[in-house]
Amino acid sequence: MIRGIQKWRIAAVILFIAAGTGALAVRLFFLHLGGDGRLRQRVELLRRAEIELLPSRGRILDRTGNVLAVNVAMKNVCADPYVIARSGHSRFVAYHLARALGLDPRSLVVRLQRPGRRFAYVKRRIPLEQADTIARMRLHGVFMEDTTARYYPLGELMCHVLGFVNMEETGCAGVELTYDRFLRGSGGLVVTQLDGRRRELYHRRLVEMPPFEGMDVYLTLDMRAQYIVEEALRKALERYRARGAWAIVQRVKTGEIVALASLPSFDLNRYRTASEEAMLNRAIGYIYEPGSTFKVAVLAAALNEGVVTPEDVVDCEGGAWWYRGKVLHDHQAYDRLTVADVLKKSSNIGAAKVALRLGEERLARYLRGFNVGRRLGIDLPGEQAGILREPDQWSAISATRIAIGHEVGVTSLQMLNILCCIANKGLMLRPHVVSMVADTDGSVIYRAVPTVIGHPIDRDTAQVMLALLRRVTEAGGTGVKAAISGCPVAGKTGTAQKPICGGYSRSDYIASFVGVLPADDPDLGIIVVVDTPQPLHAGGRVAAPVFAEIAQELLGVLDLGAGRGYL
Amino acid sequence: MTRRSSATGWTRLRRFDWMIMAAAVALMGVGICFIYSASFHGDPLRVAPYYRKQLVWDGLGLLVCVLVGMTDYRRILRGAWAWYALAVGLLLLAIVAGVSVRGAQRWLCILGVCVQPAELAKIALVVVLAKYLGSGARRVTGWRIVLTAALITALPFSLIFRQPDLGTAAALIPLLLVLLYVGGVPGRVLVFLCILGLLFAPLGWLALDEYQKNRILFFLDPGKDPLGAGWNKIQSEIAVGSGGLWGKGFLKGTQNILGFLPRSVAPTDFIFSVIAEEAGFVGSAAILALYLVILSACLRTALSARTVSGKLLCVGVAVLLFFHVFVNVGMTVGLFPITGLPLPLVSYGGSVTVALMAGLGMVQSVRVFSVRI
Repeated sequence: MIRGIQKWRIAAVILFIAAGTGALAVRLFFLHLGGDGRLRQRVELLRRAEIELLPSRGRILDRTGNVLAVNVAMKNVCADPYVIARSGHSRFVAYHLARALGLDPRSLVVRLQRPGRRFAYVKRRIPLEQADTIARMRLHGVFMEDTTARYYPLGELMCHVLGFVNMEETGCAGVELTYDRFLRGSGGLVVTQLDGRRRELYHRRLVEMPPFEGMDVYLTLDMRAQYIVEEALRKALERYRARGAWAIVQRVKTGEIVALASLPSFDLNRYRTASEEAMLNRAIGYIYEPGSTFKVAVLAAALNEGVVTPEDVVDCEGGAWWYRGKVLHDHQAYDRLTVADVLKKSSNIGAAKVALRLGEERLARYLRGFNVGRRLGIDLPGEQAGILREPDQWSAISATRIAIGHEVGVTSLQMLNILCCIANKGLMLRPHVVSMVADTDGSVIYRAVPTVIGHPIDRDTAQVMLALLRRVTEAGGTGVKAAISGCPVAGKTGTAQKPICGGYSRSDYIASFVGVLPADDPDLGIIVVVDTPQPLHAGGRVAAPVFAEIAQELLGVLDLGAGRGYL
Repeated sequence: MTRRSSATGWTRLRRFDWMIMAAAVALMGVGICFIYSASFHGDPLRVAPYYRKQLVWDGLGLLVCVLVGMTDYRRILRGAWAWYALAVGLLLLAIVAGVSVRGAQRWLCILGVCVQPAELAKIALVVVLAKYLGSGARRVTGWRIVLTAALITALPFSLIFRQPDLGTAAALIPLLLVLLYVGGVPGRVLVFLCILGLLFAPLGWLALDEYQKNRILFFLDPGKDPLGAGWNKIQSEIAVGSGGLWGKGFLKGTQNILGFLPRSVAPTDFIFSVIAEEAGFVGSAAILALYLVILSACLRTALSARTVSGKLLCVGVAVLLFFHVFVNVGMTVGLFPITGLPLPLVSYGGSVTVALMAGLGMVQSVRVFSVRI
């Protein structure tokens, strides 16, 4: 009997084993030949990796090829808080990292003790040597990431023109912003497969697109000219304890900006610590009442319309003129002046009377022709349009006040370009700071050409105005201090009271001088503006000497024939 | 009236079940090929020498099988308690002087050759249980016998369990149950034992190590940590699934060669993944078929054996073999949690090969000495 039971029981064991093997076989069948391919897809997904190749941002160079902005290799220190928190050494790690990187250990500990996260930046963009010392500490859960950082070798020089990039390497100001699409380049892509340890299998690359490197942007600016201008401004800023000082140097015949400086300035490598004040590019972004320099535009309009000739005599009322219930003063009393002398001596009353003779409509039309109240379209961000109201909004005396550069707001770039227009035979050009964009292999992608944006006055009028402006720097003119040896200068001084609530300040002025040289065939236009100089405040005393200093030194470094023959 | 066979060695050899030998040799051959493949990572000059070592172990296993097969199994049964004592002694020695590999003290090394005493213990337990339950003098229905058999099993079980080697220890439990069952213990006693076991299972959970608990938890929910403890299971399933019908070809399995299957266990516990990926459903079904050949031969011998202890020996060896195959393949295809049980005769491993071949040798011996002359 026992034997019989054993037979049956062995048979049961056989059945059990057969069933088990059958179950395995069924499972294998479905795994192997399961039709939906989900597992295969998962395999591919786990294997595949897309690696983005970052382009390196293009350089910015000056007219002569000096490097002004460049990318240097750096490292980001990163951490895996999950690993660090699990190892239980977060305090230790934080202490050592903080000491090496100059961070606050307590706030670092807080950032590292987040077991829910797998990634955190400890510090971004540290130099390679520093990264080496950290790598040598062999801290578990701390690793490096390759990156580049924008570096501006000249620090503060040309800061408002160059601009800067943010942490994501996107241009945020200046040329970095306007030419970002050239500088940025575009990323490459590698689609590849990884092995079990997440290392790349080079022989199994599927796609390999190299990045397009960012292009080099060449400025029209000249590093040496810029240096000269900034030094001169800095001296003036200190000497006159001014709130700000700015200057532009522009090629009359092409519209190329040779130098553009605005003080106060800031170090581009530490732009995040700069104040709003310092970041403002006053040369194109600060609207001010130009004062007497604006008489140039009014007289040019009147001459062009033929309502006056330079020899016409104007009654200057002995220095005080009542008109429509308001008095207008000259800074010096004159009885009678020719139109030419009105400009030379900068008579407010003379200019106002000329403006009245021209009439409001025509005055407004000419001013618009000189681009007052409109952007010139320079290739820099932050350019202001200025303020010019429509004539129907003018008061009875508006024309007389606009004639002397009040009730109207301009940027110094606009003021300079009125002068350059006159010096360029009446043709207004678009100012620009970039001369060309070149590929990494040197082929030119974009080249700036002089662009005419207006023709407000005739060639002959322009010639006459230029001759009149030349007299300003001659003996007896307001701009004698702007004269330099060996090169005649044509220009105009400006001393504008700053508007304060409801009236004009008696102590705060904006002193400026705008001029072109050489006066017989101008090549350079220069404007110098000093905001609130103390104790002197007349444009002829404050700005003209700075102009002369800049002009004199520029003659030594710039080729004044350049650009001739373009138009 | 069985007469002790006085036949010569040659006659004994002729009575061998050569199907078992052929299937075992085929499995060993497949094993060596895929141990090579599992250690191959693209460069034939840098293949780890596991396959060569396994060749030696396989040869030794075959020799042991033949020698045991030519010995009368009743002589072996007479020395059962000695074998048992030896196995327990070695297990104790492993605790004292064992070599620890990845947290488990399983190995005994003598002169550079390392063996796992647990493998010997499995076979020794088969022998001792067959002897104890199969000696016709006793009725095997009583509680006393069940309890004694359980105690006999409990000693090596606890020693293996605390190495810790959960998989190998677990193999002893079905062995005990099946041998009690075939030995003639009434069904109600076995049912009672099973219920008792289920009641005490929660206690067993407490005895598990953290990593063992994790393996079970991640088996239940591998998505919980797909890159950590769930990794092997997922990758193994992917390997099997990507094999298709015919597989990717020898040395062409990307899961294996590119290191998605962990390199340390690909030639041992996960050899079946490598086979399934490179040889496809055809290959893995063939492996199962070869095991079925051996299992059916063992059980056939059990049916025809003339003594109860002979039957029990054959059934015991078959259960051990089946348990290993079932758990190992089940783990590969995601039916079981991951345990470190090798695929017998195929996986890289010396002790398990030799021990199992000794077991198969005993099956041969039962066959050889059961033939009426």
